[in-house]
Order: sequence, then C-alpha cells, then structure tokens
Amino acid sequence: MKRYSLISILTFLIGLLPKLACGQGVGQTGLNYENLTVDTVANTVLYEQRLYRNPLIGMLELGAVVSRPATRDLIPLHQGVPIARYRLSPSLNVTPLSLSERQAIKQLAPFRPTRYKLDFRLQPELIARFGFKSNPFETKTNLLLQTQLMLWRGMALNIGATFALINDLDNERTGVRPGPVFLNQFLALDRQNFLSLSLGAFHNNQYGLNAQYRWADLSGPWSFGVEGSLTGFYFFPARSYYYERPNQLMLFADVAYRLPVHALTLKLQAGQYLDQQRGVRFDLIRQFTNVEIGFFVTKLPVSSTLGFNFAIPVPPGRVVQGRHTRLRTSEEFRWEYNYNGSANVGAPYRLGTRLDALLRQYHRDYLRSQL
Amino acid sequence: MKHIIHLIRFVLVLFISLILTDLVNAQVNLSGKPGLLFIPSARGLTDGELLLGVTHNPIRYAVSGINNLGSTTSLNGNAENVFYATLCVLPRFEISFTLLRPIGYLPLRARGIGDRQFDLKYQILTEREKRPAFAVILSAPFGLNNSLITHALVATKTVSLNERVKAEFTAGYGSPYYFDKSGDADKYDFLGGYELRNKNENLGQYLTGPFGGVVVRFQDKLGLMAEWDSQRVNLGGYATLFNRLTIQAGLLNFDQVTVGASYAVSLRKLPKRITNLIP
Repeated sequence: MKRYSLISILTFLIGLLPKLACGQGVGQTGLNYENLTVDTVANTVLYEQRLYRNPLIGMLELGAVVSRPATRDLIPLHQGVPIARYRLSPSLNVTPLSLSERQAIKQLAPFRPTRYKLDFRLQPELIARFGFKSNPFETKTNLLLQTQLMLWRGMALNIGATFALINDLDNERTGVRPGPVFLNQFLALDRQNFLSLSLGAFHNNQYGLNAQYRWADLSGPWSFGVEGSLTGFYFFPARSYYYERPNQLMLFADVAYRLPVHALTLKLQAGQYLDQQRGVRFDLIRQFTNVEIGFFVTKLPVSSTLGFNFAIPVPPGRVVQGRHTRLRTSEEFRWEYNYNGSANVGAPYRLGTRLDALLRQYHRDYLRSQL
Repeated sequence: MKHIIHLIRFVLVLFISLILTDLVNAQVNLSGKPGLLFIPSARGLTDGELLLGVTHNPIRYAVSGINNLGSTTSLNGNAENVFYATLCVLPRFEISFTLLRPIGYLPLRARGIGDRQFDLKYQILTEREKRPAFAVILSAPFGLNNSLITHALVATKTVSLNERVKAEFTAGYGSPYYFDKSGDADKYDFLGGYELRNKNENLGQYLTGPFGGVVVRFQDKLGLMAEWDSQRVNLGGYATLFNRLTIQAGLLNFDQVTVGASYAVSLRKLPKRITNLIP
C-alpha cells in the first residue's frame, strides 16, 4: 500500500515537470500584467508581461483579462516601449508601428513607473568547466536575486544580489555579494529599427558600456544587427574587490535569416570578441514553444569549436504576487556548451536580454508556429 | 483505508488523463537513439520530441571497456553509464548528445567527466506501406575516445500482426571506419587533425559490420526485442509508462544484464490551459 502511494506520488511529480515549466493557474491572470491600458476607441490593448519567456502565452491569457480579445489589437511593451501591433485572429498577424503611431501611443498612455510591480526574480547561474582529470566538474553555481526598476520609458535599472553557492572554478568568494547592476535603455526608433544601450556591471565579470542596434522585420525573414562594447574585468576575491581598466573592445555584426518553416533561424556573426579574438560564429537556432535550442560553430585564432545552447524558463515561474510586488523564478535560463570545455570562446558576457533574442521571440512566424 | 484507495485511484486516473500525449514509441537504444538494445533503427521521432535518459552497461559488454584505453583503464575494464539527450530538431532530423561515464576505479589520466559525443541522424525515407524507412546516422568526429561512434545506414519496416501487436524489423550496416582525433591533434581546433582509422584496430567493435533485429510491440506500450549487434545476440524487453517513461532491460550475449530508462517530452506543445484560449 505504502509503496504504491509512493510510486503514484513520484510518477505524478514526474508528469508535473513539463507543466511546471510552462505555466500556472488561471486564477490571478489579471495580476500577471503590468502597465495595462485598454483603448476602447481604437480597440487596442497595451500591456507588459515579464513573467513568460513565450510572448504568445501572455497574448492568449489577455483574453481572460479584457473583453472581446479576438477583435482587439494587442501591443506588447518591453520596458514600456511598444514592440509592434498584433492581432490573434483570424490568423496571427503583426503590423509594425510607425514613428507617428509611437508618438500617439505616448500621448495615450503616459509612462509611469508606479504602473510596474516591484518584481523580484530568482535567476540561477552556472558557469562550468569540464575535463580536468582530478576534478572533472568544476563550477561556479550562483543564485541571483534580481529586480528591474523602470525609471522612464525604455529605461530600466537592473539591480540585485548574488548568492554564490559553489565555486571550485576560481578564487572569487562565495556567500552574498553585489549582483550585476546596470542601466538599460531600450528604444524603438520606428518600424524596424531597435536600439539597446547598457551601462554598468554586467554578468560574467565584465563592466562597462554596451550598445546594440538591430534592424528587424517582425514578419519577414531577414534581420541584421551590430553590437559594440567597451568593458573591463571586475572580480570579488575574499574580503575585497578588484577591477581592471576597461580595455576590452568588442565589435561585431551579424545577419540572420529565418526559414519560412519550423521557426528556424540561421545567423552569421563576425567581428572582434573578448580578448581581441577576431573571428566568425555561425548559429542555427530552433525556437520551440517555450524553449530555444541552438547549435553553433566558432572560428577564432585561439580555437575553433562548436557546441549547443539552450534557453528555458525556470520552473515554477510565479511564486507569489500581489498588486505591487511579485516573487518569481526567472523567465529564462540560458546556457551554452562547447567542445573546448574551458575557454568560453566566441560567447559574449551575458547582459539581460540581447536584442536579437528579444526580437526573435516577437516574430510572427515563431508565434504562428505554436498555433 | 477505502478512501485512500479511492483517492489514489482518482489521482492516478487524473494523472494519466493529464499526460496522455501523442508521444509513443519513445523506446531507444543504449545511446538514446530510437532502436533496440545496442543497435539503432530507422524509426524517427516526432518533431520537437526530446528524450532524456541513462543506460547501464555491464562490465563485460561496456563499449569503453573493450576499447583502446588498455593501459589507462583498470585491468578488467569498467562497467559504464551512458547519459543521453536526443532531440528531433527538425522533422526527420535528430541530434543526440551522449556522455559516457565509466564506473569504478580509473587511473588519473583516464578520468574526466566522461566521453562526450554528438550524433546526427537523418531519415532519408519515411516508412510507407510497401517501403521501409531508411536512415543514416553519423557521429560528429570532434570528440576524443568516442567509443559509441555510430556510422551506420539502417532500414526499418513495421508489420502489423493484428490490431494490437506490431513487429518491427531492422537491418543495417555499421562502418568500421571513423575519423580519429586522438593522437597529437590540437583539441582546441575541431577543424583539423583527423586521421581515418578502423575501429577494429583500437576502438572496440561497437557496430562494426551488419546488424539487425526485431521488436514485437504490444500497443506501443510493451515490447520484446532480439538483435544481432554485429558481434553477438542480445535479448530484451521494455515497458512504457504514461507515454513518457520507458524502462528497458536486456540480456547481452546470454550473459550479463543491461538496464535503462528514458523520459520523453514534446517541446512543441503548449499547456492545455493555454491551447484552450486560442481563438
């Protein structure tokens, strides 16, 4: 008897796993949204949702919040900046927003930081090196408690603390220390031009300036972008801190082509990476429903390698939320493996959301592929 | 007591109805590819299907135990666990990643996280009424000491014996040739340093030569298998629980037992509560 109940509980939990990764109950749906504006004249809903990695879940859930969702246009916001205009039926369609439409939206829904929750996010971080004979699995395992304060339209201050749990990789201290702190300004210039500027201490021990520009047609196959950054190394040894002058110049450009089927993107990138390594990187990215899986090849003077990466939502998602505060796990955990094991070549430091990854999630064909 | 039994029954029924999916036939071979015990088949996974699992190989039939390591492994070789993830990245196209970890004592220079390997499988032809499925499987040559290297061409045909029972026949050929990167090759450069070699010389004989087998499946949930893995005869069986979890066991060469378990999820499915909201 006892054994059977144990087995049923175990199998129940195993069956629950994939469900945990993708969503929660319907009960509090309205609270999942922030900065929600319903324009009944133009039949448009403006909203921001930071909970789900997959924007389609947010779009579909809006139906439980607003009336007649099928006939309305949905305009998702990122840090208060409209991405584009979406309509769910009869078939999912996207219309880019012109400069004048963007101006009109600013009039309609003035930006107020108080329309956002104090949103605490738990983000695991795993930096690993495999293959050393005596200790084949060396990691830096951290848990980050982060929050994102919206200052003005497009501007967010990312701030948090790092709980460094395990470190057998280098001599950075474990325990609690300041987490990545940086400002990010997101801008949508017109229909297809997007800009993201960051300043501060990023992930992976790099601080400095980062600028990304991207041209992206959210219903077409092509997109391209450039990214430049000037950063320096920072580090927390025991009872101290250490930093170097910003002497790392990174500059690269990429062009991406999205196949008309299977939410598959091919991306070719070339430029100068960290440690003045000049080279090329080719990515093949498949966007599944809530998960993204990619394969890549890099060719740099110091090494050429290949590997895979993935981005998954961290279960269970929302933990508790009220009108003004929320505690949840991160909507995205990104990890990359390459054959070299140690040298993290051709992979830039992590920095909140990258423009190409963000815009890829709002592409019409990706959203359509799920319906 | 009665209430508890009712409750358990209710939870089980609820659970089974919750997780019924279109995932069937997620039964795989030792390295996570659709197949029998040691041999792969040409059967394909559905788009977006992800399999995670592990196989335990006994000491006398461990694929790494019979390889070239000779002086570097312990005298009698090692039993091993093979961890794998197989993803159907695109229709007909599967990529699997395996990590082979020997169990027990290893001399320092043979230690490590284990042998990592990428395999690509493409289903050249899908199965039709009068045509078997054909697939080609190629291992990426970048790893060092990849004892599970699979360079094979394989065909699979399913025959329905009655409504519930199907027999699946597989035949294929595994090439003994592979590109070796051991030696003095620069491990930081995957583009160079390859040498064409024969598995029989030094890598062990996993899948070298003709292989074949048959699986008899009962409602895609239970099955019995018999195979010739190019070296010997293996027998086995499997059971799939809740369409997601497959447990299998086999007797290798009428001698030692192998066991394995794999778990299947579809990365393409939206949660039901969300699909209900689609206008």
